[in-house]
Amino acid sequence: MQAMIDSLARLPGVGPKSAQRIAFHLLKSDVEEVKKLTNAIQEARGSVRFCDRCFNFSETTYCHLCTDERRDTSVLCVVEESRDVVALEKTGQFRGRYHVLLGAINPLEGTGPEHLKVRELLLRLEPEGVQEVILCLNPNTEGDVTAMYLARLLKPLGVKVTQLAMGLPVGGDLEYADEVTLGRALMGRREVGE
Amino acid sequence: MIVRSLQLTDFRNYSTLHLALGSGVHALTGDNAQGKTNLVEALVVLSTMKSFRGVANDAVVRKDAASAFLRADIVHDDLREFLVEIELKSAGRSVAQVNRKRVTRTRDLLSVLRTTVFTPDDRNLVHGAASLRRSLLDDAVVSLDPARQDTINELERVLRQRNALLKESGYRPSASTFDALDAWDEKLAAVGDEVGRARAELIQELLPLAQSSYRALVGDECSLLLAYDAPWREAGLACALRESREDDLRRGSSTVGPHRDDMVVSLDDFASRTQGSHGEQHSLGLALRMAVHHLVSQRWGTPPLVVLDDVLSALDNKRASALFERLLSALPYRQVLVTSAHPLPASPRITHWLEVVAGTISSCTQDEQ
Repeated sequence: MQAMIDSLARLPGVGPKSAQRIAFHLLKSDVEEVKKLTNAIQEARGSVRFCDRCFNFSETTYCHLCTDERRDTSVLCVVEESRDVVALEKTGQFRGRYHVLLGAINPLEGTGPEHLKVRELLLRLEPEGVQEVILCLNPNTEGDVTAMYLARLLKPLGVKVTQLAMGLPVGGDLEYADEVTLGRALMGRREVGE
Repeated sequence: MIVRSLQLTDFRNYSTLHLALGSGVHALTGDNAQGKTNLVEALVVLSTMKSFRGVANDAVVRKDAASAFLRADIVHDDLREFLVEIELKSAGRSVAQVNRKRVTRTRDLLSVLRTTVFTPDDRNLVHGAASLRRSLLDDAVVSLDPARQDTINELERVLRQRNALLKESGYRPSASTFDALDAWDEKLAAVGDEVGRARAELIQELLPLAQSSYRALVGDECSLLLAYDAPWREAGLACALRESREDDLRRGSSTVGPHRDDMVVSLDDFASRTQGSHGEQHSLGLALRMAVHHLVSQRWGTPPLVVLDDVLSALDNKRASALFERLLSALPYRQVLVTSAHPLPASPRITHWLEVVAGTISSCTQDEQ
C-alpha cells in the first residue's frame, strides 16, 4: 500500500496527502472500477505516441491536427508541451498547425536546445511552406529564453516570427491585476479599432 | 502604521506570547538570551516572510513543535485594520494570511507591515562584503516599488541558469551551447540593465538623505558620497557579456553583471570600507539605514516600524543616550522598539517600559529595568 501511495505522490500536482486520499479511495472502490482505470492507463500508455511531425500526442504516425487538410500550413504555432496544444485548441481561434518542443531550455535541469525538437522544427519550415511562426511559450524565464533562442534561429531564415501578447485576463478588474501583468499590457497597448 | 498586538506560539523561545503595543517608543530590556532579538525577528518575518538572520524554518520553530504561529494586529494611519498571520512549518511550506485571506507574494505582506531594523551589524554595511550593500539596495528598491521583486528574483534565476550552462559546457562548448548562451545573455542583459538602473536611481535619491542623516548623527560637516560601482553600465550589459564570454566559459560562472556590483561609500574622498575608523563605519551604516527609512516613509506617506535592536549596548551610558536622542530626533516614526541588555538611559521619548525574561514579556518601570 505504501508503494501505491509513493507512486501516486510522484504524479504532477499530487502531494503526499492527496496521494493518500486517492489510495484509500481506490482501495474502497469496486474491483471492476479499479480494473477499468488500470486498463485505461495501460492502453493509453501502450498506444499513444508522439506525432512524427509535430510531437503532439497521437495514436497514429501523424496526429489528427497534422492530417487535417483544412488547417493552414503556412502558420505554425510552437509550444512547450502537448497540454498547451489542448489549451490553444480550446480557443478555436487558431487554424494553423502546431509544433511541440517537448520542454524549454533549462540548464539547471540539464535541458539544452539539443534535447528539444528544434532541429525538427527547422526541417518543417520549407516543405510545409511556413511563413509565420508564433512562439507560444510559457511567460517565465525559461520560456522567454527559449523564445529568444528560436527567434535568433528563425529570423535569418526569412519567416515571420511572432509572440503571444502579454495582457490582462478577460472578465477581471484592473485593480486586481498584478503590477507586472498590468505593466506589460500597458507596453503592448494598441490603437482602438485596429 | 502601528502594530497593536503581537501573538507568538512556539516561535524560538516563546511558547505563547500575547503582547500589546502602542504608538511611541517601547523600551525592551532583559539579560542576554531571553528573547529580545527573537521578538524583533518575529516582526520582520511578519513583514517579509523571511528571517533577517537568514535561517531555515526548522531553526525558528520551538523544539518539539511542528509549526510556529505568528500573528499581528496592525492598524494603518487611514484606520484600515489588518490581521497578519503566518504559520512557519518546520517541514513544508509556510502559510501567510492577511485578513484571513491567503497571500503568496512577499509584497502582499510588505504592503501591510514595513519595518526598519537597526542592528550592531549595520557597521558591516560599510565594512563588510559587497553582497550586504547589494541586499540593502535591492531590499530598498522592493520596499519602494514592490513589483520590482519579480525583476530581482528573475535576475537571480537567469544567473543560476546561465551559470549552470557555463559549468556544464566546460572547455569545449558545442555550437548549440553558444546559441543558447546568446539567448541567456539577451535575457540577462535585459533584466540586468533594469536592476542596474533601479539601483543607480536609488543611490541618487539616497545620497542627500544619507548626508543629512550622517550629519544628524555625528554633528560635523563631512562630505559623504555614495557611488554605484558597476563598470558594465557604461557600455551596457549586453556588450560587457560579449566581452567577458571567454572568461565566463573558462571559469564556469558569470563574471560581470549586477550580482558583482558594489556601492562605494566615502567620507572626504576616503573609501570608508578600507579607510574609515570603526566608529565612522558604524555611524555610516546607521546613516544608510536611516536614508532608506526616510525614502520609504516619503514613498508611502507613513514611516515603517523602527526597531533598534541592541544598537546602544556597546556604548557607554552617555554616548548611548546621545545616539538614542540623535537617531530618534532625525527619524520620522510612529512606533519604535528599542532592545537592550543594559538599562536604557531615561528619555522622555520612551513611552512604554517592558522587561523580557525567558520568553515572557511584562511591563515594568524605568527603575525596575
